[in-house]
Amino acid sequence: MKLGPFAAQDFAAISTLGLEFAVAVALGTAGGYWADVHYQSAPWGTVIGVLAGFALGMYIVVRQAQRMSAAHPTEKTK
Amino acid sequence: MIEVSETIAHHILDHDFGVMVGTLHLPLTVHTVTMFCISVVLLGVGMLMARRGKSVFSRLMSTIGEEYVGFMRDGIVVPGMGQEGRPFLSYFCTLFLFILFSNLAGLIPEVKTITSNIAVTGALALCSGVLIVYCGIKFHGVVGFIKTFVPGGTPWWLVPLIFPLEVISLIIRVCVLAIRLFANMLSGHMVLLSLLLIIFIIGQMSKIAGTGAAIPAMGLEIFMTCLELLVAFLQAYVFTLLTSIYAGLVIHSH
Repeated sequence: MKLGPFAAQDFAAISTLGLEFAVAVALGTAGGYWADVHYQSAPWGTVIGVLAGFALGMYIVVRQAQRMSAAHPTEKTK
Repeated sequence: MIEVSETIAHHILDHDFGVMVGTLHLPLTVHTVTMFCISVVLLGVGMLMARRGKSVFSRLMSTIGEEYVGFMRDGIVVPGMGQEGRPFLSYFCTLFLFILFSNLAGLIPEVKTITSNIAVTGALALCSGVLIVYCGIKFHGVVGFIKTFVPGGTPWWLVPLIFPLEVISLIIRVCVLAIRLFANMLSGHMVLLSLLLIIFIIGQMSKIAGTGAAIPAMGLEIFMTCLELLVAFLQAYVFTLLTSIYAGLVIHSH
């Protein structure tokens, strides 16, 4: 299966995905922790925050993959 | 006795020598002064590039300026945003040069890297965020821009879930711009300082061992400085490129 050709824009977008995923999880964890401190709901706020952050991170990765697949159709997807 | 963490913090963190004007405290810091100096240097470079003189130096500067603007247009703005990005070319040219000069300034002894301050990179990312939102509103209108947060073909019952996810995704993208530049510049300078401190830490234990450690440490220091030079260019390029990609995603969202 041939992938590409990829431009500098594609490499930049791919390289940023890991950090976007990490920031999404960190954001969810921070939000959950904040909820735990303010509403005395430990540990459920943090647990739900981590899961929500993970889901958001996965959504970002899948959306980016969809965009790149649409921009560079491979032989299979043509 | 060398306090490693204190030494690193002293060289990297900002120092406030603010002045009092009556009861008003003006937070004049090393980073703000450095930023002001970089802005003045950039203004001077820009004026030299824009000037049309007959001397060799003037022609050289204007040629460099033309090549630079051509590179920004054909290498970053048009591939990322399409022809719609041309009106924003001046912003991208300024952004790239400002980040590049800020990164390079950190390699000059006694000058601090302002891009290792999250407030500076956050402000730069905020400017890019405003540009992205402005592009969306300009090319789609307010309602159209809001509609771009829902991908085509999304079932109506999924819209309340997808819409906030897309909004948070946009905010995360802008945050990531700030974090990447900040983390890269901060870590690079911490590594440089740590390598230098190795010599003094080993030297405290034994002067001969310290002298011996100086040779590999300086070799690594030179290598890391060259790497920092590359990173300075690379991060300026990546920040500008990603801003154009994100703005392009908003413009061509349909």
